[in-house]
Amino acid sequence: MSPTLMANQNQGESAEYLNWLLLLLITFSLLSLSLLFKVASAVYIYKDPKMAAFLFSLDQFHSLEDMGTLKLIGAPQTQSSSSSSSSIDSNNHPSRTPPPPSSPSSRVCRNRTDLSTDLRLGLSISPSSQSESPFNPTPREESFDWPPIKSILRSTLVGKQSHMIQRPSLFVKVYMEGIPIGRKLNLLAHYSYDGLVKTLGHMFRTTILCPNSQPLNSGNFHVLTYEDREGDWMMVGDVPWEMFLNTVKRLKITRADRC
Amino acid sequence: MMNYFPDEVIEHIFDYVASHRDRNVLSLVCKSWYRIERWTRQRVFIGNCYSITPERLIRRFPGLKSLTLKGKPHFADFSLVPYDWGGFVYPWIEALAKSRVGLEELRLKRMVVSDESLELLSRSFTHFKSLVLVSCEGFTTDGLAAIAANCRFLRELDLQENEVEDHKGQWLSCFPDSCTSLVSLNFACLKGEVSLGALERLVARSPNLKSLKLNRSVPLDALQRIMMRAPQLADLGIGSFDHDPESEAYIKLKNTILKCRSLTSLSGFLEVPPHCSLAAIYPICPNLTSLNLSYAAGIQGSELIKLVRHCVKLQRLWIMDCIGDEGLGVVAMTCKYLQELRVFPSAPYGNPAAVTEKGLVAISMGCPKLHSLLYFCHQMTNAALITVAKNCPNFIRFRLCILDALKPDADTMQPLDEGFGAIVQSCRQLRRLSLSGRLTDQVFLYIGMYAEQLEMLSIAFAGESDKGMLYVLNGCKKLRKLEIRDCPFGNMALLTDVGKYETMRSLWMSSCEVTVGACKSLAKKMPMLNVEIFNENEQEDCSLEDGQRVEKMYLYRTLAGKRKDAPEYVWTL
Repeated sequence: MSPTLMANQNQGESAEYLNWLLLLLITFSLLSLSLLFKVASAVYIYKDPKMAAFLFSLDQFHSLEDMGTLKLIGAPQTQSSSSSSSSIDSNNHPSRTPPPPSSPSSRVCRNRTDLSTDLRLGLSISPSSQSESPFNPTPREESFDWPPIKSILRSTLVGKQSHMIQRPSLFVKVYMEGIPIGRKLNLLAHYSYDGLVKTLGHMFRTTILCPNSQPLNSGNFHVLTYEDREGDWMMVGDVPWEMFLNTVKRLKITRADRC
Repeated sequence: MMNYFPDEVIEHIFDYVASHRDRNVLSLVCKSWYRIERWTRQRVFIGNCYSITPERLIRRFPGLKSLTLKGKPHFADFSLVPYDWGGFVYPWIEALAKSRVGLEELRLKRMVVSDESLELLSRSFTHFKSLVLVSCEGFTTDGLAAIAANCRFLRELDLQENEVEDHKGQWLSCFPDSCTSLVSLNFACLKGEVSLGALERLVARSPNLKSLKLNRSVPLDALQRIMMRAPQLADLGIGSFDHDPESEAYIKLKNTILKCRSLTSLSGFLEVPPHCSLAAIYPICPNLTSLNLSYAAGIQGSELIKLVRHCVKLQRLWIMDCIGDEGLGVVAMTCKYLQELRVFPSAPYGNPAAVTEKGLVAISMGCPKLHSLLYFCHQMTNAALITVAKNCPNFIRFRLCILDALKPDADTMQPLDEGFGAIVQSCRQLRRLSLSGRLTDQVFLYIGMYAEQLEMLSIAFAGESDKGMLYVLNGCKKLRKLEIRDCPFGNMALLTDVGKYETMRSLWMSSCEVTVGACKSLAKKMPMLNVEIFNENEQEDCSLEDGQRVEKMYLYRTLAGKRKDAPEYVWTL
């Protein structure tokens, strides 16, 4: 073998090595860069309260699903509206179609678990801000033959419940810019921003813009802002409703062109 | 030896025998006793109005003065029996009127009473004295007006938990001025207004009035005036307790209450102000033997506890579960003579502050005389039931209802078989039992083995197989009424011992595994039973196929044959 050939070979090998090394280096640097980026972005995300709030609300949503309540809402059961005075109305009683032939015990088990689900259903549905106590009494239409109390007693109790249910309330002050006397409003009487904006619009006789729309003439319109727990004034509508209820301290209606 | 006594003497002896059962036994001794007993019988109790025709009853007991009738099955109270199933009282009143029976007292439970029946009743019996309607329906205040106007010697008008339509007439004003014989008047279940002036005047001219229960439309000031006029009242049902604590009317009432020393029974409070204080009642509490606050939904638990602390002589207490376990502990410490307790749910679908097994155990420890219980709670344990059984072996009626129907023992997650087993084993006099919670066939084995005196059993969402029902049917020799809903009992359980049903008054099975074919074969074998199936499907041409599952079945023994007033959806097989 000629020495040049061998030298060439060696050179080729080392070039190959070099190539591999370069490749490794590039991959490594790319990886570390991406890692850094992730960390940075994560830091950025959690520093941003809105993002954090959004992620938090996602978690809440998942936990509700895990509770299984949402899935069960759709389950059709023997429901009928219980009229307050008359105790018996057979027309509302849904006719049971004969179930498919299966072993009696499993059929009954199904029926019984359905009913127990049904019973648990009625007992566990609650506004999401409430605690998950299984016997939160909510005035929801339920089966009229359980628990076994006389219909006259049942109608008395249902009547009382609607009076007595101390709907939890959250009254906050609302001021409109330019008007020194404010109003008070129960936020828990509403279930979403739409309801709130509508009510406020009636209360103050103005149109309140929703946060994302941009009218051309913003002179005569108002926007809704709120003071949160940290004392900052924020635009209403960015965070989920439940999150908003947790942080709002008071509301202010300001002119649209100020924002 | 008795053969040598003339009939009049035997009649006189029979006068001392009052109970229905004893008289029934007497009539079976021999023909002459049957004859004598028949002519002297004044009070008759018919547990199922379809078990006999009115004509036949009147033929046997022409001297009838007091009749008690029950119509619909017990589960009708919980809306399980469809509307217009039956239980009409009109044919009975018509027959009694035609035969000129000297009826003086009529007591009806779960029957359909029309205004026409009340009118006919008021006109047909000159010495009519007492009308008691419990859980009835079908009448209006017009019917009451007829009773008030025409029954000249009326002593008792007692309306308990009826569905009455208000026709805005002034029925109370229909009591003539000559009517001074009233002893008991209860119109608490009426929803409409009454003429307060007429009421006060009526009370004023009724010196014998001992029991008065007002409805929610009677305000506090009228109550005060009424109590002033009737200091002899022993049983009072307060209508509206709504008041301003500073008002003169309330202060007057407090003073008037102090004068009512003969009050031993209190109920009502149908309307109360929020955060109502019952301090005005405290002075009479030490005399009370009966307190019924089961319709007083507005009273807070803390207030109930304060009230109960004063009621040392209480024998009967009906209360809502907002009193809590703590409140029941106070009851246990205070009411040492308590015999009957009913705890009702204050929110039909549960209340987090409601009672649990702890309250029941406390009661059992403090009230050894307790013999009747109806307890709605939101959990129970075997250990608690075993303790209760040990502490109170005198139970006659034990009815438990766990609001979550399939809940097992809250501590061990086991079925409640052992707990109820302990109850039936310890309480040998038990006559009525209602089960609740998660239960297997085992509990029925215990019931069949130990519950020898059991007469009425209510089962819901319990058992695993036909064996459960068979244990009960085989074991409980004195069983009269069996009502079952949502249990896996099927044809084998129904058909194994068909003769048993003739020894019982009735059997109700709904949402079980019984088929049409089985019911048909049962009806064929037992001609003395009416086997009714309720077919609530709206389809017209549905013929019942044998294999089809029966939604609701009600069977009862009868001498009257198939009834003619059944609505379309009731098939008597």
